[in-house]
Amino acid sequence: MKCKKVTALLLVAAMAASMLAGCGGGGTTETSGESTGAAAESSDSGAAAAAPAASGDITEFSMFITMPGKEKNSDNEIMQIIAEKTGVKVKETWLTGQTAEEATGTLIAGGEYPDYLDTDDMAQLVDAGALIALDDYIDQYPEFRDTWFTKEEWDKFRQPDGHIYWINPFGNTYGESKTTTHNDEAFWIQVRVLEWANYPDIQTMDEYFDLLESYMAANPTMEDGTENIAYTILCEDWRYFCLENAGQFLAGYPNDGSVIVNKETMTIEDYNTSEDTIKYLKKLNEEYQKGFVDPESFTQTYDEYIAKLSTGRVLGMVDQWWDFAYTVNDVFKQQGLDAKGCNYVPLGLTTEKGMENRWHTYDDTVNQASGIAISVDCKDPDKAFKFLVDVCMDQELHDLRFWGVEGVDYLVDDDGLYYRTDEMRMNWANTSYQASHKCDYSYFPQWGGTHWDGKNAMQSVEQPSEFMNDMAEPLKKCFEAYGVTTYPGMIDSVVEQNAAWFPMYSYSNNFTTATPGGTAWALMGECKHEWLPKVIMAPDFQQGWDEYMTAYNACKPEDFLAEMQAILDTFK
Amino acid sequence: MAQTNVSKVKKDKKITWKEIKRQKTLLIISFIVTIYGIIFYYWPLTGWLMAFQNYKPKDGLLHSKFVGLDKFKFMFSDATFLRVIRNTFAMGALNLLTTTIMAILFAILLNEIRHSMVKKTIQTVSYLPHFLSWIIVTGILHDALSNTGIINDLLQRAGIIDQAINFFAHPRFFWPIVAFANCWKETGWNAIIYLAAITAIDPSLYEAASIDGAGRLAKIRYITLPGIKPTIIILLLMNVGNVLNAGFEVQYLLGNGLVQSVSQTIDIYVLKWGISQNDFSMGTAAGIFKSAVSIALILVCNAWAKRAGEERLF
Amino acid sequence: MNTKTIKHSFEDKLLSALIGLFMVCFVIVTLYPVINTVAISFNEGIDAVRGGIYLWPRKFSLKNYDTVLAMQNLLTGAKVTVLRTVIGTLSALVVNALLAYVVSRKRFIFKSQLSLFWVITMYVNGGMIPVFLLYRNLHLTNSFLVYVVPGAISAWNMLVIRTYMNGLPDSLEESAQLDGAGYMTIFVKIISPLCKPVYATVALFVAVGHWNSWFDAMLYNRLKTEYTTLQYELMKLLSSVMQQSGSADSAKYNAASVTPVTIRAAATVVTMLPIICLYPFLQRYFVTGLTIGGVKE
Repeated sequence: MKCKKVTALLLVAAMAASMLAGCGGGGTTETSGESTGAAAESSDSGAAAAAPAASGDITEFSMFITMPGKEKNSDNEIMQIIAEKTGVKVKETWLTGQTAEEATGTLIAGGEYPDYLDTDDMAQLVDAGALIALDDYIDQYPEFRDTWFTKEEWDKFRQPDGHIYWINPFGNTYGESKTTTHNDEAFWIQVRVLEWANYPDIQTMDEYFDLLESYMAANPTMEDGTENIAYTILCEDWRYFCLENAGQFLAGYPNDGSVIVNKETMTIEDYNTSEDTIKYLKKLNEEYQKGFVDPESFTQTYDEYIAKLSTGRVLGMVDQWWDFAYTVNDVFKQQGLDAKGCNYVPLGLTTEKGMENRWHTYDDTVNQASGIAISVDCKDPDKAFKFLVDVCMDQELHDLRFWGVEGVDYLVDDDGLYYRTDEMRMNWANTSYQASHKCDYSYFPQWGGTHWDGKNAMQSVEQPSEFMNDMAEPLKKCFEAYGVTTYPGMIDSVVEQNAAWFPMYSYSNNFTTATPGGTAWALMGECKHEWLPKVIMAPDFQQGWDEYMTAYNACKPEDFLAEMQAILDTFK
Repeated sequence: MAQTNVSKVKKDKKITWKEIKRQKTLLIISFIVTIYGIIFYYWPLTGWLMAFQNYKPKDGLLHSKFVGLDKFKFMFSDATFLRVIRNTFAMGALNLLTTTIMAILFAILLNEIRHSMVKKTIQTVSYLPHFLSWIIVTGILHDALSNTGIINDLLQRAGIIDQAINFFAHPRFFWPIVAFANCWKETGWNAIIYLAAITAIDPSLYEAASIDGAGRLAKIRYITLPGIKPTIIILLLMNVGNVLNAGFEVQYLLGNGLVQSVSQTIDIYVLKWGISQNDFSMGTAAGIFKSAVSIALILVCNAWAKRAGEERLF
Repeated sequence: MNTKTIKHSFEDKLLSALIGLFMVCFVIVTLYPVINTVAISFNEGIDAVRGGIYLWPRKFSLKNYDTVLAMQNLLTGAKVTVLRTVIGTLSALVVNALLAYVVSRKRFIFKSQLSLFWVITMYVNGGMIPVFLLYRNLHLTNSFLVYVVPGAISAWNMLVIRTYMNGLPDSLEESAQLDGAGYMTIFVKIISPLCKPVYATVALFVAVGHWNSWFDAMLYNRLKTEYTTLQYELMKLLSSVMQQSGSADSAKYNAASVTPVTIRAAATVVTMLPIICLYPFLQRYFVTGLTIGGVKE
C-alpha cells in the first residue's frame, strides 16, 4: 500500500518536471540552470581567496540589494561583454518576501556578507562592522571623486567616525539635464479636458475643479458611454501621499515631504494644519458633497485605482508620475485611448493666482541614506571598487548598460545621435530578452543627463527622439498649445538649487519609535489615514475638521516638529 | 467496555520495572523525539531574551542592552494596542467559529451524497481555493463588494437597498467580511480532516440504525456527529490556542484608513511600531504575549475537556 | 412501519434536495475564484490591468505561461521541490505516525507529559534570528537538509494522527499482545493499515506545505542557486514583475506584455496543477469509507 503511494508521488513529480521542461525550451534551461549552480558554488568557496576565480580572469562578485528586482540569466550577453572588458561579473540577489529590515537583520546576525551591498539600513551595517571605509579608494580615482559628487555632497555621506561607507548611485545628472517627464507629484488632468476648454490657463485649485465640473456637465460620459469620474483619490497605505501632502505644494513649497521649511526664518512648519491645507481639504469636501469626487476614493486598492485610470474615465487626480503613468500609458496606447486624449498632463497649481510653485524638482535629489557599499567579506575590494567606478566613468560601459550593444540595440545616425528602430524598442522592453541580454547593473552608480559626447542622453529613456516617438496626437497638440516640449514645461516650476537639507523626508523616514518625535510621526500617520477621508466626507466641514484636530493634536505633533527643527538647525 | 478500560488504565499507572522494560521501544522513540524537540523548538526560545533588550543584530543576544520590561510597558500603555488585541480576538474567534462550522457542515453533507463521481468532483473543487494566495482572493472580494460589484447589484435588484453600499467604508462590515473570506478559502481544505474522520465510523452502525428505522437526519445526529466529535474537539482545542494569530495579510489587504480601528491585528501593529532597530524586540515581546495567552487558553480548555470526559490534548 | 417509511422517504428527498442546492451554491461560489484566476492567467497582461475579467479571458495570450516557464532556474527549482516534497512527506509521515502511536498507547508511562511537551511547541517560537543562528550552527544553512530536517515533527500533524488512533478499538492491540506481538509489530501490522485515511490526510497537508514553501529557501539558501525551490523562483519573478511596472523601462513597446496580475495568476495555476493531479490518488482514502471492523480490510 505504502509502495503505491510512493509511486503516485513519483508519478506526479515526473509529470510536473516534464511539463515544466517541455514548455520551457528544455535543453537551454537545463544547461544554464546547472551553470548557475556551479557559478554560485565557485563564488562561495572562493570567498576567502583573493585570487580571481578559475574561469579566465573573471571575478564573480555577489551583491544583495534590499529591493525587489529582476534576476539576470547567468549567461547574460551584456554581462559577459562587461566581464570581458573589466574582469568582473556581479551576481545580484534581490529582496523577496521579507522586509528590508528583516533581511539586513538576518544578514548581520548571520555575520556572512555578499561582496556588494545596498540596503536601507546602511548605518546598522556600519555599526556591525560589515562595511569597509571607501575614503582611500575614492581618493585613488580623483576624476570620479570630483565629477560624481561635490565636496559638500560627499560630506553628507560621512558617518560619525568621519569615513564614507557607501555611495548613492542614483539621481546624478551629467551636463545638461535631459529630463522629459515630470517624475514628481502634481495635479494631473486629461488632455481631452484641456482641449475641450480650448487650453485655458489653469493656475489654482479652484480653476482646476471649475474646469472639471464644467467638463462633466457637458460630457457626463465618454464616447462609448462609460461614465466619467471627475476626480479620484488614492489612499491605500503608504500611497496616501496622493491625498496627504498636496498642501505643501499648493503653498509653493518643494517636496520636503513631511514638513515645510521656511527658508527666511529657518523654521520648520507643519503643512498638516496650514491655511493652504485647510483650503485644499475644504475644496475636496465641497466637491465630494457635490458628487464630483469618486465615492470609492477612500476604499479602493492600488490595483482598482490603476484599473480605473486605465479605462480613461478619470479626468484628474493628484499622484506621482511613476506611481501610475507607466502602466496606465501602456494601456491607453494599447486601447487607442491616447488618441482620444486620455493622457494626463501635470498642472502646477497653487492656492492663489500668480504664486511661484515647486512641484517639479529640477536639481538632483541626493539621498544620503542609502547606496552601494563593499563588505568586509569582499574577495578583492580593490577590484570591486575599480569596477564600481568603471561602470559609471567609462562611457563605453555606461552605454552598454543603458543603451545596449551598438548595431544590435541602437543605431547611430550621421550626426552621431543614437536611436532605436521599433524592433529594437520591442526587444529592449521584452522581459525574456532583458533576462538574457540586457545588463544595466541598476544599483551601480549611473548618470542621467547628457552623454560625454555632448549630444545624446546618458539613458535611452531621456533621448528626445525616443520621447517624441511615443507621443499621441492630442498630447502633442496640447504641448504645442501651451508652447512646451516636455512635461515639466507644463508645470513651470521655479528652477533653483536644492537646499542643503532637501529633502527633509530622508530624515523623517529614518525616525523610529525610539524617540518621542518618531513616535509622534508614526501616530500622526495613523491619525491622518483615518481622519483625512472622514474630513472630506463630513457633511459639515468645520465640525469634521475640529474633530480631526482634536485627534491630531493628541498625537503630539510638536515632538515631531521639534526633532525636525533640530535637524534643520544643523544646517544653519 | 469503557468502564473496564478506565479501571484498567488506573490499575496500570503504577510504574514497575517490568512495565518499563515492556515499553522499552516506546521509551526509546520518546527519548529521540524529545531531544529533537528540545533542539528545534525549545532551544530557539533563548530568543525570548530579545523582548527584554534593545536588540541589535550586531550585538547579538549576549551583548544587547537590557531594558527590562520597557517593550511590554510600551505596548500595554498604548490605547491602540488594547484595541488591536480586541480586534485580533474578535476576528480570531469569529474565524474559528465560522470556518469550523462550515467545514463540518460541508464534510457531513458531502458524505450524504451517494453518487461517487459527483462526490469526488465536488470535493476536488472545494479545496482548490486553498491554493489561491490572499492577494488574489481579496482582489476578487474587493471586486464583488465594490459599488458596482455583484453584491450591490443583487441587493439593488432585489430592492433591499436603493443606494449602493460601500462595504469597505463601514467598520461594522469588516469582521464579517474577513470571516467570509476565510470560509471561502479554507472550507473545503479544512473539511478533509473531517472527511477522513468520517471514514473511521463503522458502517455497521448505520446499518443497525436503518434497521431501527432512523432517518438520514437522525443518522447524522446520532452516528456521524458523535463519530467525528473527538476530531472536532481536538481541532477546536488546537485552534483555540491560535485565535491570536488571526492573521495579517487579509486584514492588511482588505483594510483602509476608514476601518483601521477595527482592522488592525497584533501582527500589523508589530510591523507598524517595530520599525527599524526595534523590530525584533517588539516582535518578540508581542510573540511572548501571544504565546502566554495561547497557553492559558489551552490549559483552560483542556481542563474543561478533561472534566467533560472528551478527547483532550494532553 | 409503513407510515414511517413514507415519512422517511419524504425526509430523504427533502434532504437530498437541500443538499443538492447547498452543493450547487457551494460549488459556484468556490469555483469562481479559481476559474477567474485561470481566465486571468490566459489574458494579455496590459489588458488585464483594466479589470473586468470574469470567467473567460478577454484578450487571449500565452505570454504569461511563457514568462513563467522560461525562468532560468525553474527546472532546478522544480527538481528540488519535488525532492523535498517526496523526502519531506515520507519522513514526516513516519516520524509523526510513530510519535502519535507512542502517545496514543493508553498504558504509556509518559503519555500526558510527552503530549504536553509537543502541544507547547505549537504556541511558542523564538523568532527568526535565533532559529537562523541555530540552523547555521548545525550547518543546516546552505544545504538541502534545512528543508526536511527542522519541520519533520509537527505537533499539529502528530495530534491529528493521535486522535484517529485513539478512536481505534483497544481490543486490537490487546489481542495482538496476547499473540506475543511487540509494540513495533502492532504499529506496522495492525495500527498503520487502519490509519490510511489519516495518513493520507497528513501526507497531503505536509506535501502541500513542502510544495508551496519558499521562505526557507530564501532565508537559508539565498546564495545557493542549486537549492532554490519552485515557489521561491516564482516569488522572485512576481516581485520583479511588481517592480517592473514602476520602472522607466516598462513594456512600453511590447505588444504582448505581462503584469503582476497575470503573472501571479499563471504562477498560481502552475503550482496548483501538480497538486490536482496528485489528489485523486489520495482522495479515495477520505471519500470512500473504510471498514474498521478488525478482520475485514
